Parts: sequence; structure tokens; C-alpha cells
Amino acid sequence: MAEAVAAVEEGATPLAGATWILRSPIRDEKLAGSYVAVSGLAELRAIETGDREIAIGAAVTHASLCAALNGSADCAALVQAAGAAANPAIRNVATIGGNLCAFSFAASDLAPALIALDAQAEIYGVSGPERKPIETFLAARAHLARGWLLTRLLVPRNGRISAHARLPLRKAGDYPVAIVSVSAKRSSDRTLRSVRIAVGSVEPVARRWPALERALEGRSLDPEEAAEAARERVGDFQGRDGVEAPGWYRMQVLPKLVRAAMCGVLAQA
Amino acid sequence: MSISLTINGETHATNRDPLTPLVDVLRDDLALTGAKAVCREGFCGACTVLMDGQPVVSCLLPIASAAGRDIRTVEALSDGGELSPLQKALEQHDVVQCGMCFPGMTVALTSFLASNPNPTREQVKQSLVGNICRCTGYERIIDAVLAHAQAMQGGG
Amino acid sequence: MDASAAVMNYPRRDARDKLSGRTRYTVDRSRPGMLHGAILRAQAAPARIVRLDVSAAEATPGVRAVITGRDAPGLHGIGVADQPLFAIDLIRHQAEPLAAVAADTMEIAKAALAAIRIETEPLPAAVTMEQALRPDAPLVHPDWTSYEVLFEGGGRSGNIAWEATVVRGDAEAAFSRPDVAIVESNFRIGRQNHLAFEPRAVIASYEDGRYHIETSTQVPWTVRNVTARVLQIPASSVRVTVPPVGGGFGLKFDCALEPFAALLARKSGRPVKLVNSRQEEMLTCLCRENAELRIRSAVTGDGEIVGREAVVLMDCGAYGGEQIFLTTMTAHTLLGNYRLGSVKLVSRAIYTHTAPNGAFRACNGVYNTFALERHTDEIAARIGMDPLAFRRRNVLGAGDLGATGQVFEGDALGPMLDRMAAVKASRPSRKAQAGRRLYGQATTVGTWFVFVGPSAATINLHSDGSASVITSGVEIGSGTMVQAVPQIVAAELGLRPEDVIVRAADTDAAGYDVGVGGGRTTVSLGAASRAAAIEVRRKLLAVASQMLQTPAEKLELRDGRIEIAGIRGSGTTIAKVAQRAQELLGPLSGVGAFTNSPVVSQPGCARGHFIEALEIPIFAVHDCEVAVEPETGHVEVLSYTVVQDVGRALNPRAIASQIQGGVAQGLGYALHEEITLDEQGRIRQTNLETYRVPLATDVVPVEIHLHEGAPSRGPLGAKGAGEVPILNVAATVGCAVARAIDRRVEQIPLTPPRVLAMILDKAPAVRLPHIAERWEDNVLPRPARKS
Repeated sequence: MAEAVAAVEEGATPLAGATWILRSPIRDEKLAGSYVAVSGLAELRAIETGDREIAIGAAVTHASLCAALNGSADCAALVQAAGAAANPAIRNVATIGGNLCAFSFAASDLAPALIALDAQAEIYGVSGPERKPIETFLAARAHLARGWLLTRLLVPRNGRISAHARLPLRKAGDYPVAIVSVSAKRSSDRTLRSVRIAVGSVEPVARRWPALERALEGRSLDPEEAAEAARERVGDFQGRDGVEAPGWYRMQVLPKLVRAAMCGVLAQA
Repeated sequence: MSISLTINGETHATNRDPLTPLVDVLRDDLALTGAKAVCREGFCGACTVLMDGQPVVSCLLPIASAAGRDIRTVEALSDGGELSPLQKALEQHDVVQCGMCFPGMTVALTSFLASNPNPTREQVKQSLVGNICRCTGYERIIDAVLAHAQAMQGGG
Repeated sequence: MDASAAVMNYPRRDARDKLSGRTRYTVDRSRPGMLHGAILRAQAAPARIVRLDVSAAEATPGVRAVITGRDAPGLHGIGVADQPLFAIDLIRHQAEPLAAVAADTMEIAKAALAAIRIETEPLPAAVTMEQALRPDAPLVHPDWTSYEVLFEGGGRSGNIAWEATVVRGDAEAAFSRPDVAIVESNFRIGRQNHLAFEPRAVIASYEDGRYHIETSTQVPWTVRNVTARVLQIPASSVRVTVPPVGGGFGLKFDCALEPFAALLARKSGRPVKLVNSRQEEMLTCLCRENAELRIRSAVTGDGEIVGREAVVLMDCGAYGGEQIFLTTMTAHTLLGNYRLGSVKLVSRAIYTHTAPNGAFRACNGVYNTFALERHTDEIAARIGMDPLAFRRRNVLGAGDLGATGQVFEGDALGPMLDRMAAVKASRPSRKAQAGRRLYGQATTVGTWFVFVGPSAATINLHSDGSASVITSGVEIGSGTMVQAVPQIVAAELGLRPEDVIVRAADTDAAGYDVGVGGGRTTVSLGAASRAAAIEVRRKLLAVASQMLQTPAEKLELRDGRIEIAGIRGSGTTIAKVAQRAQELLGPLSGVGAFTNSPVVSQPGCARGHFIEALEIPIFAVHDCEVAVEPETGHVEVLSYTVVQDVGRALNPRAIASQIQGGVAQGLGYALHEEITLDEQGRIRQTNLETYRVPLATDVVPVEIHLHEGAPSRGPLGAKGAGEVPILNVAATVGCAVARAIDRRVEQIPLTPPRVLAMILDKAPAVRLPHIAERWEDNVLPRPARKS
């Protein structure tokens, strides 16, 4: 690990599954001068379920995350996200860390799922490991000074139930044009407590939807009401225009995704 | 720096750049042209190979990452010239057209059926989300796969 | 011969190697000493080339040849010779070739391209057809008047590359009748990329003063002739051979990379391989063209169409290419299907500063059928008639006049509509599956044709009882060369299809052929092969007659034997007769040829048309049910049913494969696939992330019914079955979605954003200000035709 960080410090780019980096020529991006392969580091490939949190190594692939955490009540949205991303062959290779470190990739499924789950990113720099809330990391990652390595993602085990809803333009196999991940504390009366709602792919970087969270906090879990509340607030986002979909469309479909995610939460409640 | 690759049970050393996609070594250096580099970005699946039994796209797999792993290409599925039972089913159902996608499709389906011997139609379709076919419209391939799976179940 | 002997579900002989990865497509091949070629393509267009300096590339170690426009002065084209191999002086579209190199490795070739110095001056652009048709528009071809015209009769002027018109009957009178409703519809259609899995690829060498081109093409003879034309060499000095082709769909119905590779091979003295990258394929794909249409009909209250006029603008891109020919097909498709009292049509191919378009499975028939069927639904709604009843009342039947005045033979569409109705009555609707989504259903009709044209075949019957067929036919995946052709020949000669060898295309070995496309392979190559087989059969029977002491007409050929009619075991094997023939006469062979025969249209009504009447029309009836998600605009196809006119089905299972595949490609066109251009005329979808074709989860099993018995000049009454399945998919889905969402569907593809915009009434109606209100104002003034 220390060697890898030293290499990164000297300017090497971390290389994990490589599925994003090997597509650089197609994006008209130059390959970096040097890469350091991090997929071989055992500590980056481990998934540890502790009493308080689940620690997922950054070099864990989407497929192995699904296999290891399928059925884990604490990670439902994350498992759904990892299991639906891209396609089976890519999920076998593409890593969690690679996905989160592809700065220009707006349609990450994992990013909103991790935000909704209130996860933290562990970053290993020359001074050792440091933790940041995932949303902070995502917003800052492109501007961090060189010499860090994303090592683990930490999902708290605090009795949250969660669900992930995504909208590809086909049934599957393309990047979703909008994503909503939702989590809430389990409650006996089906009211929403500590609700967290994250939106991905609509803007360049995934983020929470604070106004909708406030509006739903303490209300009973009614997917239709949640969709209605979302409809009133889609203006909170500035949808990005892309070749595949215009910005307005990404915003317009959010109520539907909120309803779908809330139905997913309801199914677990 | 030499990289050692294990392909279809044989070891090959290569001096290519570690970031070279595996598909280029397979096709250009080893004459294993079954894997096709159609899109080079992981959407079409025509270059799918098995790495330690799991399907991966060889266009996005640097040879450095393939080193020390067990790589099997489509050529290994019909070792000795004998088609695998799945390949035979696809041949008998006459589902091939231009054929460019079939090596990747066959590799992906082989791995899928190994872990899902009795799949539903929808599961087969989901397993092919990373394998584009431009000729066939898929459904007759899926008919053949389901008939094959059923025959294998029946045959024990 | 009993035609049923040729009918069977004979499996493909090439499946085994294709499944096991052993088939060597052109991209998989190499030759000793082979160099790697690469093409320098223009970044921006239009522009004037101020300086092109290749000296640094030539000086790069490992570079063996560099070529530019100076090496290839000839112009080629369809109808008009307007296209050079390289941009010379003018760059007309993004990615147009500027220079090419051949080097020891691809890395060296790419480095050499990077070393080429190019200076250009930007020029004013006409990116859209609206821009190109402005009176002050910059001309894509300032020298258009100097071009050689290869086919007479089309209108041409400035950015109007070709204009074809049809005028039949008195449309003016029809439109001014007091008892008619006038219905007008406008449509705008995007481009579609074939996405053939094997890119265009070639290996060329120069040996003994001749070029050998091994290439992934549908048209070996076009490659031979166009290469000769642009290199200004005799066509006989070019030999074209074709390995298995990894998908064509019309993309490879034109000469492509071959002349570049041929030139590089001659200059370097080494074999040269040239393969398009996927990005090059996306940027230079000869797409199904974008188009804009206005169609207007005068219809009586009881549903008689007394007049129809239409203006169709087809974007040919920077060079005319296939679109010049395709102006012809508008008459037979947009003005097809239905009886029309009078007709006024103008179909124009327009030059723009964008990548050239080309041929794609059923070509403009696909969007013309979409436009016609949507327009038909709008007419039915306006006059308050059930859309299906309106179609049933008006579809063309025996003795009816087509758009250009040809008289149609036989009833096909009527009985096919009846069959579809019976199929639908026999099963429940899928409406319940739509749930809370919006449900729509539509039945549409379509008319396409067989692009007949010349084909040649030679058959050698060997003394071991096997036969080999030599043609210029190419196996592109449709199966004709490995199924229908051996089936036809085997049935004629009494052999098993597996005893019939079909040689891969080689222009040195076989006679001229138009190419594999246009639904013509089974018809033209099948008929030529059958004619050759009939000659062999005649010779064989003459010898057998002597051997068996029985008149030839009392002999039968089957199962590899020649028997006295009705007496099994009475005769001998075909091998023995072939051996005897070889001793007496020398080896047995036969030659066959086939071409189109003229079909009469009404004299004087069509101008600028390459084909004035359809020799072998093909009809299709499609039905689908859809569910539309009102919150996202996602369209799910719930069921899809096809009744297709096949003449005679020689291999029903292979035809079913073509229909399932063609419908899937049509679903892509209708729902997902669109190539768009930015303001600089650059293609925006440059990879498979943004160009979305249907995946396994996006298709449904197509319910298929083959309609047999409609007249056909094809062998044993067969028609082409592979091209037409895509014809009315966009029409059917478009009509079903329009009914589901109760909006005018004027554009395809019906992507979720487009559908949602319509549902939310955020989609502006298609307006075509560059199409003049009066039909006559959309037609070039032309001197009266000489009678």
C-alpha cells in the first residue's frame, strides 16, 4: 500500500479494473504517463462486515460486491446499484474505486447509492488514512492535490433501509439518464426518519436533494406523496444536456424515480 | 518487462506494453481471432473471454491485469474441433447469421449457464445485456439456449 | 422439376466455424509482409486546403507509401460522377480522407499521419437541407455543371444533386373538388447507422501488374469498377475476392476503402491492410439518410384517395451516392400501397456539408412507409373511418395502377390484411400487460421490391457426384449463398444440398453481378444458378438416357440418383452418369444468366427515375401493440406480428431468422437509434455509448406468418425475404405510439425524451419552411420532354 501511495505521490495514476482508463482514446483523452496497478492489493479487495460498519475495498468489483453483500439489509441500494450498472462482463472487472474516481463519469450508479447510505470514503495519503463523507469526496475529488489513493468505502450499519432506482433509455445496458437512491431509518410506524435522498446523473456530480428530504422527513412513507413532493421541487436541479438526453428530461423523470425508490424502501419496511 | 499470460492452458510471454488490451495480443500475436474487437469500449461483448471462469471484455483488459489469471477464449470451447453442447444447440437451431457476435455471445452464455443451468427467458436476456447482435434480433438464440438448458436438465 | 424438392429447413454450413471463432473475416486475415494502412481524415468542414505537406510522413522510418489526391484523380458516383477518393482542394465533410499511409506497424502509420502538415481555410457551410436550399446557400459542389452524368433524366441544380418527379392524372382537379377533405402531414427523420459488426476492411496487393483486393463488401463488381475508375486503370486489372462478411445491411453496397489500399499496395510493393476503427465507421457510415417530407391527400368522405402530392427531401451528404438512385424509390413506397386517382411527387437528393449517406436495408422505403402510414391514419381520423377499414378499402390489388401507372398483378395486400385480422382474432390482446401505461395498437401495410439486375453462374458437375457453383455472390450473413442457392441447385440436379459447393466471390472466376442487397440474392443469383443447373441437368440426362436406354423425359433425378420415373432402384447414381459423361464429352458444366425484364409504366409520367415500375414487388403487413410510460416516455413493444409476402418460402426457418432480425433492427430505428449532427455538421454519436441499438432485453419474439403464392419471376416463385422485414416497423410502432399518446407522431426515433416531450406538449410541430406551399414551386423548371 505504501508503495502504491508513493507511486501515486510521484505522479502515477491508480489503475484498477481499467475499464474506464482503456477507453481514454475514444474520449480523446491521452493516457497518463504512468499507472500503478492497485487491484492486486489484498486490503483493497476485502469486504469486512463489522458491528458498526461495512468496509468495502476500493478494488472490489461490482460483481463481487453484489455476491458478498446480496441480502445485507444495510446495503440494499448499493447492491442494487452495483448489480444494475453497465453489463455483466464489465461488472466482473470494473471496481468500486475506479467508478468513483472516474471524475468525468456523471452516470455512476454507485455514487448516489453511497450518498444515500451515508457512506464515507477512506483516502490514504502520505500522512496515512483519512475519512471524508462520500458526498464531500465526490465534490472535491477532481481538485484534490496529487498523492492520494481511495482505499475503502465505509457504509454504516445503522438500521437504514434503502433502495435504488435508475432510468436507462433502453431496458438495461446503457448508462442511466437519471438515478434516485433513497434511504431512511427503519421505523415501526412507517414514517420516514433521517431520510436521505441522492440524485445521480442529472448533474455532473451526484448530490443529495435536501429540500425533498426536509419535505418528507417525518411523513408517512407514501410513494405517491413522495413523487408529488418531488414534482414540486425538480427545479432544484440543473439537468445536464447530453447527446443521449436533454437536461429537462433528466429532471422531468425524477418524480417517477422517487416513487420507484420509495416503493423499494416500502417493500423492506 | 515481460508479461506472462496463461491462455487456453498455455503460457505465453509477451513484451508488449502492460496497458495493451488483451484482445490485441490474442488476435495479433497468437492468431486467436475468435475474439472480435468491434467497439473497443465494453458495450458489444464481441471480444468476451473467460478470466478465471468469469466473462470479461478483452478489449478493456490490460495484459498486466490478465497476467497470472486463467484466460480461456472461444477457441477453447470447441477444443479438438468438437463443438460444445451449447454450440451444437446453436448450430442445430440455425440461429447464426453474420456470426461476428457469436464467439463473444457463446463465451458469455457458457459461463452464465454454468452458474444458472435452468434459467428463465428473462434471465438469459439479462445475461446478454453486454452482447450486441445486429443480425438476429436475439429471440431465436434465446429459444436455442432454453432448449439446450432443458435438454441438459433432462439428460441429467 | 418439382419445386417442393427445393423447400427445406436446411441449416447453414458456415455456422460451425462462426460459432467456434474459426471463421476468418477480412479483419481476421493477414498476408506475409503485410503493411498497415491508415487514413488522415479532415477534422472540420467545409474548408479549402491551402497546404498539404506529406514530406515528413514520407521521411518517417518504417513508412512505405504515402498517397494523396494526386494519386487518384478520377471521380465516381451513382448517376453523377461527383466524388473523388481524397478531398482535392475542397474538404466537403468531416472525416473526408486527405491522405493515406502504409507502414510496417500501425503505430508508425499513426505517427506518420500526425506528421502530415495541413493548412485549411474555413468556408461557409450548408449543414442542413434548409440551409442548402436557401437561394444564397454556399454550393457544396461549385463545379457541379462540369461533372459527368452517368444516367440521364434527373433534374440537377446547385445543391440539388438529383430531382425525380412523377405526375400522373389531374391532381389539380382532384384537390379542387368540393367533396374532398385535404389532409396534410409533415415529417422529419434522422439518420440510422448500420452498425455492421465487421467494419469496412480490405487487404490489397499488387502482383503481376494486377491488383488483388480481398475485401468485406456486398458488391465485388462495384469495387472492381470504381477502383478502376478512380485509379484510371483498366477494370480488368482489378481482381476482387470476398471472404465471409461480418454484416452489411447495405453499408457495404458501395466501394469504400478498397482504392486506398490498392494504391498503397502498388506504391509500396507490399500487401496493405486497411481497417476502419469503430470511430471512423461512425463518422463515415453511409447512413440511411435523414429526410424531410410533406405529403398531402385529397380524400372523399367514403375514403377514396383522388389525389396525392408529396415533396421529399433526402440528405445525400457531401456526395450524391445512393441517394441519387433512391429518389426513384420514393414513388414506389411513399406513393405505394394504395390506389391513387392522381399523383404529383417530387423527390430530391440534396447536397449538404455532411458525411455522405448510403444504402441501408429497405433504404428510404422504411421512412417513406412510416410517413405514408402515419399520414394514412391522419386521413382516416379526419374522415372518421376506421384506419384498418380505410386500408382494406384502398390497398392495391390485381389490375390496380401504381404510382407510375404500372398495372399490378395479383392480390397480395388484401388477403394479407385478412390473414392478419384472422391471426389477431385468434388470440387475446396484450392490453392488460400495459397496466397503467398508455396502450396503442396499429396494423400497417408496406410495399418494397426486388432490385433484380444481372447475375451470372457457372456450375461444374464433378465425377464424384458433387457440384460446384461459381458466382460473384457474397455471404453477408443472410444465408442465401449457403442455403437458398445450394438448395435450388441440388433440387434441380437431384443432389443433396451438402453436395453442392458454393465458391466464394471472385471477379476473376465469375461473371458480372450487381451485388448482394436489395433482396435480390435469392432471386437473381438463385435464378442464374438454376439456369446453369438446368443446362447441366440437360446434358446429364442425355448421357443417362443412353446408359439407361430410356428417353430423358422418363427419367427423374433425386437423392443422388437418376431413376426411370416411378421405379426406385431402376437407374444409377448421378456420379456414375457424370463419370460416363466426362469420358464421352469431357467434364459437365453449365452456365446461367439472369437479369431484369422491362415492366411497363405509364409513358411520360416519371422523370429522373432509374426504375419506372416494380418488376417484383414485395408486400408486408405488420401489427404491433405498445405500452407507453406516461412519466418517462418509454415505449415497450408488447407484441409484434408479421405477415410477409415471400412468393415461395424455400427455407422457412431461415426466413423467420431474417424477419426476427429485420424487425429488431426496425425497432432500433423506430425507438432508439439516431445519428444527429451538430451545428458544424459533425456526427454527434461516435460510439456505442450514445448510439443505442436494441439489446436482448429490448426485443420481443415476432409472430411470423408467411404469405405464399403472390406472383414472382424469381426461381421457383421465390422473392427476397431478408430486406423487407424492416420495412414497416417504424410505421407500425409510430402509428401505435401516436394512438397510445393521442399525439401526431411526426418524427422517429421515438426515444423516451421525444415521446415525453410530445406527451407534455413540449414538442413543437415539424415545420418545413424550405418546402414551398405550392407543389410546383418545389420542382426545377425543365424543358418539355421530347416525345
